Amino acid sequence: MNKKMIMAGLAARPVRTTVSILAVALEVTLILVVVGLTAGISYETGKRTEGVGADIMFQPPNSSLILAINNSTMPMALENKIKEIEGVKAVAPVQTLVNSSSGLEIIYGVDPQKFDAVTGGFIWHKGGYFKATDDIVVDDVYALAKKVTVGDQVEVLNHKFKVSGIIEHGKGARLFISQQTAQEMTGMVSRASMFYVKLNDPNQVTAVIERMEKVFPTYGLRPLKEYAKLMMSTSMPALDAFIETVVFVAICIGVLVIFLSMYTTITERTREIGILRSLGGSKRFIIGMIFQESAVICLIGIVIGVGSSFLIARLVQFVFPTLIVMITTDWILKASFFALVSGVIGSLYPSMKAAAQDPVEALAYE
Amino acid sequence: MKNLLETIDLRKTYKIGKIEVEALQGVNLRIREGELVAIMGPSGCGKSTLMHLLGAMARPSSGKVLIDGHEIAGMSDSELTEVRRNKIGFVFQKFNLLPTLTAGDNIAVARHIHGSGREHDQHLKEILQLLMIEDKMGRKPSELSGGEQQRVAIARSVANRPAILLADEPTGSLDTKNSEIVLNMFRELNRRFRQTIILVTHNPELVVYTDRLIEMRDGVIVSDNDPFSEDTESELAQPARSV
Repeated sequence: MNKKMIMAGLAARPVRTTVSILAVALEVTLILVVVGLTAGISYETGKRTEGVGADIMFQPPNSSLILAINNSTMPMALENKIKEIEGVKAVAPVQTLVNSSSGLEIIYGVDPQKFDAVTGGFIWHKGGYFKATDDIVVDDVYALAKKVTVGDQVEVLNHKFKVSGIIEHGKGARLFISQQTAQEMTGMVSRASMFYVKLNDPNQVTAVIERMEKVFPTYGLRPLKEYAKLMMSTSMPALDAFIETVVFVAICIGVLVIFLSMYTTITERTREIGILRSLGGSKRFIIGMIFQESAVICLIGIVIGVGSSFLIARLVQFVFPTLIVMITTDWILKASFFALVSGVIGSLYPSMKAAAQDPVEALAYE
Repeated sequence: MKNLLETIDLRKTYKIGKIEVEALQGVNLRIREGELVAIMGPSGCGKSTLMHLLGAMARPSSGKVLIDGHEIAGMSDSELTEVRRNKIGFVFQKFNLLPTLTAGDNIAVARHIHGSGREHDQHLKEILQLLMIEDKMGRKPSELSGGEQQRVAIARSVANRPAILLADEPTGSLDTKNSEIVLNMFRELNRRFRQTIILVTHNPELVVYTDRLIEMRDGVIVSDNDPFSEDTESELAQPARSV
């Protein structure tokens, strides 16, 4: 009977019910898409960084883990010093540039020979390394997304490049230019953003890092094995704070909408509440009814929210093929939980107010 | 006969702003099982307040209300709710059906709150037959006439076999023909099921359908033709005395 009453109550006010459901759906979508986008970019970049094939990433002091983006602040001369460390096989200096004009693209400025020595070389789909300073190598995902092939012109960071080669994706960045061009574009001549280090024995990562720490005590030394995991938000305080903020804002939206919806519901239905009280409906019965009504709104909102998140993820990937929205079961459950919590908080006061109504006054309500 | 309702020096005071209004000023009455009683009086005489107290919808300021032997003055809200659920049925002037539910569901809600099982199914069937609304159960209140709505409200109020049925101006929103039908049904309910019914009204025409008339004025009972009482009307007119 409760189910019938609740559904009839919701159906009797279709506009408000729809708006409330959409607000909960928005809450869930906001959480899933923002977290999915953050996690997707982080994880995918981490995977690509891991895919470089190096054993250690050498970064400037106080450098961030996020996307391995740093200004070119280290002198190139460090390359030789790193090479001198026992166990180091090869070192590849890299300049990183970020293009955010369409999605988020990381561009590596590399020395082909040194980069190949560390990575073992690219798998080439077409063409080869840059022959001129305005040549660019792109990965197959970028080529497919931008519909470019060898010989085509692409504009990156207000600079026109000619595609010299297309490689298999998964090694550091999607775009590669020569180190010299990168240094000229950043104005950081003879400097590098980071060094990829290849070891003679990959099992000696910890030992080599310990040796490096003695020589370069303030620098950032990170093992690249399981780098992708490190890139996930849970390991990154800055992203955690960002996600927490988004979740908080989303919960606030949910709480306020459910509150408003339930508050207006009980005001409109004061007389109905009076009738139920006159029939012997207890305070608990009234509270339960309001809670169940808000739970139904939340559950429908969650289903729509999860569905629309997957739809938006598809849309994002269609518009920005290089972006990945990672919607995980873990976050679907979390977002659903947050939506239900906002439903409970939002309907707490209205349900108490409804239950506390004097039956005589409620029945007299016009 | 068993006493179902009894009030002893019942008083109720409301505060409107800074002014205290004494709606009931010492009401004494006794209603027995199976009686069909009309409480009549002009607007503002305190009859609705009396009905709310008799129906455990409010607590007295002083005095006693005994419903089926239980004194309600000291009861908690949940105890009062339980009394309403198990002992009282209400019929209101404005029908007060839940507009989003069908007639059948309106009755089902009352049974759900009461926790009725199938033991009252036969009783409900008889009630619906008596009230001639068996075929209206799938309709929403907006699809029923005023008379039909009031009959659904009556069915809802007696579906759980309450000890007392309290009706506040039950014909107030009905035309003459429908009023007659509804009043006849109250009488029939009283006769066939020995349902104790108290009709609260300001309409003197309604009195002919009842066995006993209690008249009120300015918060006190001024006359009561209680067939079982030996007291005189003049005594009843005195506030703060037992009937």
